[in-house]
Amino acid sequence: MDETDLRLDGNAVAGMLAEMSGFDLTVAWGACAGCGTSNQLGAALVYAHGMGVVACCPSCGQHLLRVARGEGRWWLDLRGLAWLQLDEQARIAR
Amino acid sequence: MGGFVSRGFKGRRRAGPEQATRLPPGQYAEPGFPVLTAGPTPRIDLAEWRLRVEGLVASPREWTWEEVQALPRSTFEGDIHCVTRWSKLGTSFTGVSVDTLLDAAEPLPQASHVVAFCYGGYTTNLPLEDVRGGKAWVVWEHEGQPLPPEHGGPARLLVPHLYFWKSAKWLNGLRLLDHDAPGFWEGLGYHNRGDPWREERYWGD
Amino acid sequence: MGRLSWRLATVTDVRPETGRVVTLALEVPDWDEHLPGQHVDVRLTAEDGYQAERAYSIASAPDGARVELAVERLEDGEVSPYLAGELRKGDQLELRGPIGGYFVWEPDRGGPLLLVGGGSGVVPLMAMLRRRAAAGSQVPARLLYSARTLEDVIFREELERLEGAGDGLAVTYALTRAQPAGWTGYARRIDAVMLEEVSWRPGERPLAYVCGPTRLVEAVAGHLVALGHDPSRVKTERFGPTGVP
Repeated sequence: MDETDLRLDGNAVAGMLAEMSGFDLTVAWGACAGCGTSNQLGAALVYAHGMGVVACCPSCGQHLLRVARGEGRWWLDLRGLAWLQLDEQARIAR
Repeated sequence: MGGFVSRGFKGRRRAGPEQATRLPPGQYAEPGFPVLTAGPTPRIDLAEWRLRVEGLVASPREWTWEEVQALPRSTFEGDIHCVTRWSKLGTSFTGVSVDTLLDAAEPLPQASHVVAFCYGGYTTNLPLEDVRGGKAWVVWEHEGQPLPPEHGGPARLLVPHLYFWKSAKWLNGLRLLDHDAPGFWEGLGYHNRGDPWREERYWGD
Repeated sequence: MGRLSWRLATVTDVRPETGRVVTLALEVPDWDEHLPGQHVDVRLTAEDGYQAERAYSIASAPDGARVELAVERLEDGEVSPYLAGELRKGDQLELRGPIGGYFVWEPDRGGPLLLVGGGSGVVPLMAMLRRRAAAGSQVPARLLYSARTLEDVIFREELERLEGAGDGLAVTYALTRAQPAGWTGYARRIDAVMLEEVSWRPGERPLAYVCGPTRLVEAVAGHLVALGHDPSRVKTERFGPTGVP
């Protein structure tokens, strides 16, 4: 087993990201702060490590975003995104 | 959904009573060795591999693979605890004591903290005291076998008295500082020190 | 109750599909009809409060409050042996969803449609084909399905029926480990040559959906792009173990 088997994509963490943000983030477009390429987050390469989720740019591999949660709190690092577009149509009712 | 129980679901078996006293609060005993990864596994050519001790030291040092293998061997036998709640009881790792490395590099008096930096970019921070006095190793063998890449091989840091995210995989070196500098997970809500016996999982715990 | 709320579904049927795969038919109160390709998060709770959560693609076409999952029992799995081994008709199952609008196809998106699945990766693709059939859609579709053996092919009879309807669906199998006597089909892992032979030409601008283990998905997506297909028309969904916090 190497990390290839453990590499997933944005679809795998759709529920968690929806819980966090209130949006279906798999359809959200975001631009990589590193290489500038934009993609929907469903296409992001995701390492769903038990401690947190790391989503990487499918073009250059750099981190787009990192999310951790514990004890009723969420921590977000969005520095890897130059911008993130949220579409009202993708808002999810709790 | 308070109270719903899935009929007949047991989950992975957790601690038997004889193990319970060895487990820090909130942990369960895991016989396997789960692989947790936050990125691609770095592939490091042993000829290029280096172990560095730098920063607030009198003699910054760098060892090649052969040089580090020639240092006095030291083995840890005991338990490791992951913040994701699994603990692996009665395991062993072999390598070199961090004390050996620090003795060679000679920390300056103002050095109070360490950042472990790794191939692939991972970092974790620790108080210097937590890697001295026989509490930490740089290891390249697990249970008698070479440490596999998915578990941090060629070599990882081992600091078993703290949560296992401090035992940084794919170690490249230790940098001594006079201040604390949050690493990869510490900068994302995790505790700066991570003592499992005080359940220091998250920032503010 | 929104899509993020956990709700209790009732198991109305448990049907073996192959030696390892089971279809769970569920009745879900207040269900928001899903789009083909979406999934649900399933949550199991043990008596001592321990919980385990996994995502499962919906296998069925949208059909009111009825949702079907096809679960492969993994040997070292924690959740799949319960779902595809213990769960029985009448039991309740906690789930939330439907989730995920990225890996979705509906007939009005057009085509031609190229579906490539490995193992249980065929499940969301099946939801797409079932929806296509239910809608009487004539969008031309090709399914390339990689499985270890013919016995491991999930939904085999139904795929034969769908293909036999003559509405523009072609199904091709790649049996990677063992083939029945007289097998004239592909007997190897999906590769660039096979994809070129099976898939639409890039000029036909197919919508491609690739699902299965990461290795297969990444190899297939890479080949499709190398063959000249527009990367923005190739969508991927990787299946694998998660440690979602």
